[in-house]
Amino acid sequence: MFPKLDPLLHSELRLAVMSILAGVEEADFTYLKEQTGATSGNLSVQIDKLAAAEYITVEKGFKGKMPRTTCKITASGAEAFREYVKALKKYLAAGK
Amino acid sequence: MENTNEQNKEMTAQESLSLITETLNNSRKEITRRSGKYFLFWGVLLTFFSLFIYILCKATGSDAWNNLWFALPAIGFPLERVLRGKEDPNGARNDISRIVGGIWGTFGIFACTVAAFTLIYTQVGTSLFGLISVLNGLTAEIVLLFGLAECVSGVALKNWIIKIAGFVTGIGGLSIHYLVLDGMEQLFIFTFAGLVLVATGLIVKSQYK
Repeated sequence: MFPKLDPLLHSELRLAVMSILAGVEEADFTYLKEQTGATSGNLSVQIDKLAAAEYITVEKGFKGKMPRTTCKITASGAEAFREYVKALKKYLAAGK
Repeated sequence: MENTNEQNKEMTAQESLSLITETLNNSRKEITRRSGKYFLFWGVLLTFFSLFIYILCKATGSDAWNNLWFALPAIGFPLERVLRGKEDPNGARNDISRIVGGIWGTFGIFACTVAAFTLIYTQVGTSLFGLISVLNGLTAEIVLLFGLAECVSGVALKNWIIKIAGFVTGIGGLSIHYLVLDGMEQLFIFTFAGLVLVATGLIVKSQYK
């Protein structure tokens, strides 16, 4: 029996965001936009979905006079990401 | 990622795993590329300091100029902060960069403490027993710690050039200390370590252009 893949992570942009955040302490919106090549609107929507699932936290603040949105993976987000990778490996192992 | 539909599509297991692997590798490459700049910076500073102190010691005949080594972190860390401040205004601090920073911070603390203690022991030893031989081991201890820090950085960054450079610095520096150089000329061991660091920085930078 295969484990179910988390539908929230099984989307390219959301997975890219989670992969980036899994390797950093925190990252701001501009950095995520540069790294994923996503449009601001789409990235913003996907970040909201991840935040609603409490996979990431989003903090709005300022860097100097410029507004800055910072994202950080939560413990439950990191756990979901680990489970997702584990499930993927099971799928791929079975396919060999 | 081409467009919004592409970005939001569901992927196969293979595509998902490839994306995760690629993102993590990109993250590691980015921090390794950046580390090249710091290796270069500290290598140049170390080479300059070792030659400068050697010239002063040789010209005056006094090894008290070795106390100038304590100025290396005092000058290096603020300059490094300036160097870092300009590099990534959007800042995403990577876990690997935190680990590598921690390794070199720990090296700095160990090196300064060992140097300070050695000086104290030398003063006490000299005044009480007429001993001054403690200083001789200091170069070996510090170059070994230095090589170890560099090698462990290579392990964290998964970069063979840095691992080998660390090994060459630590073991090579120690060998030079035991086999070749003596007295003030031991300062050239740090010149050697600095030049290896410069070469490492240049190679790493060219690897991830």
